[in-house]
Amino acid sequence: MESKFNQGACSEFEALLEDHLTGDLSGADAKKLAEHLESCAACSSALEQAAPSVELLRTVPATADPGPGFSRVVMARIRAEMSKRGEQKSIWLPFISLAWRFAATATLALAVLVTFDAVRHSQYGPQTNLNYATVTETRDLFPDPSSPPANRDEVLMMVADTDHGKH
Amino acid sequence: MRLAQSGEEAAFEELIRRHQQRVFGLVNGILRRREDVEDVVQQVFLKVFISIKRFDLRAAFSTWLYKITVNECWDYLRKKKVRPLVYETDLSEEQVSRLDGVVSAERPPESPARRAETKDLLDQLLNELPERDRELLVLKEVEGFSVQELAEMLDLNVNTVKVRLFRVRARLMDVYHRRVGPQPNPSAVKGRSKTDGIEI
Repeated sequence: MESKFNQGACSEFEALLEDHLTGDLSGADAKKLAEHLESCAACSSALEQAAPSVELLRTVPATADPGPGFSRVVMARIRAEMSKRGEQKSIWLPFISLAWRFAATATLALAVLVTFDAVRHSQYGPQTNLNYATVTETRDLFPDPSSPPANRDEVLMMVADTDHGKH
Repeated sequence: MRLAQSGEEAAFEELIRRHQQRVFGLVNGILRRREDVEDVVQQVFLKVFISIKRFDLRAAFSTWLYKITVNECWDYLRKKKVRPLVYETDLSEEQVSRLDGVVSAERPPESPARRAETKDLLDQLLNELPERDRELLVLKEVEGFSVQELAEMLDLNVNTVKVRLFRVRARLMDVYHRRVGPQPNPSAVKGRSKTDGIEI
């Protein structure tokens, strides 16, 4: 259930009303609010509604100081926590170091392999392929004369070649 | 501060001593009577110790500390998934008359035991308020944080804090009237403007 009192408070005066309740309003602002309250029943009601909260909350005591021993307790916990973190680090340290060494070796090996492959390709790679292609194509067009003919066309080619030599 | 930043333990312990009450108040204001308040405060100072080297000396240390504290409290509430207690039972007649006495102008002096009881009753009323608004009201009115401090630690505009405070006051009184009874004595409802001659 919403308050019937506070629904009508003018939004531009709510901050001033709060200042007024806590005693932090003075000078021109206090005068401005006083003039406004004379003519605004809604703000007056809202103020009337909210004001007893000041007294009500005054009965609640603030949190007491935990005492001089508290800082020592905190420092002991900080020391314990920091040494625990240090121990955790030292337990994992050999594994971390080993992992780094593995990683470094693997990276180096990979780099060597990649470099070797790149150099090999730049020297032989494309030319070998080209030569291979040329040889294959030539073999298709002009079969090796020392090998037996593979089909009828090759037989005819051989005969034609022989006749040509005679004329 | 520089010594604490350089890892000097004695200097950091002195920092704790200077700020422990405010941090306790802040944590208590947000968590409200939870048994873990001390643990959360210790956790706050541990975090501060770890990250103090990153603190910019040009800024206000208290603002930085309060922000860490607020975040730690909200983390705690999130992790614990704490839901505010809701009191379903009505107040007894005696409780009603006690609370009525608190807001009326003619309040008799209370013994510590009675004050503790009144505080319990008020806690019941405060628990019916929205969590964030209740935090604001308790931190301002009970723990004594200024509007400026609240605005900085919660990343809010000063005016927004004032407006929210004013609204939650009215809401608290609304809960009060619903649980306790009609409007209290109007003589207790006087303003506190500093301007002479203006009384509202």
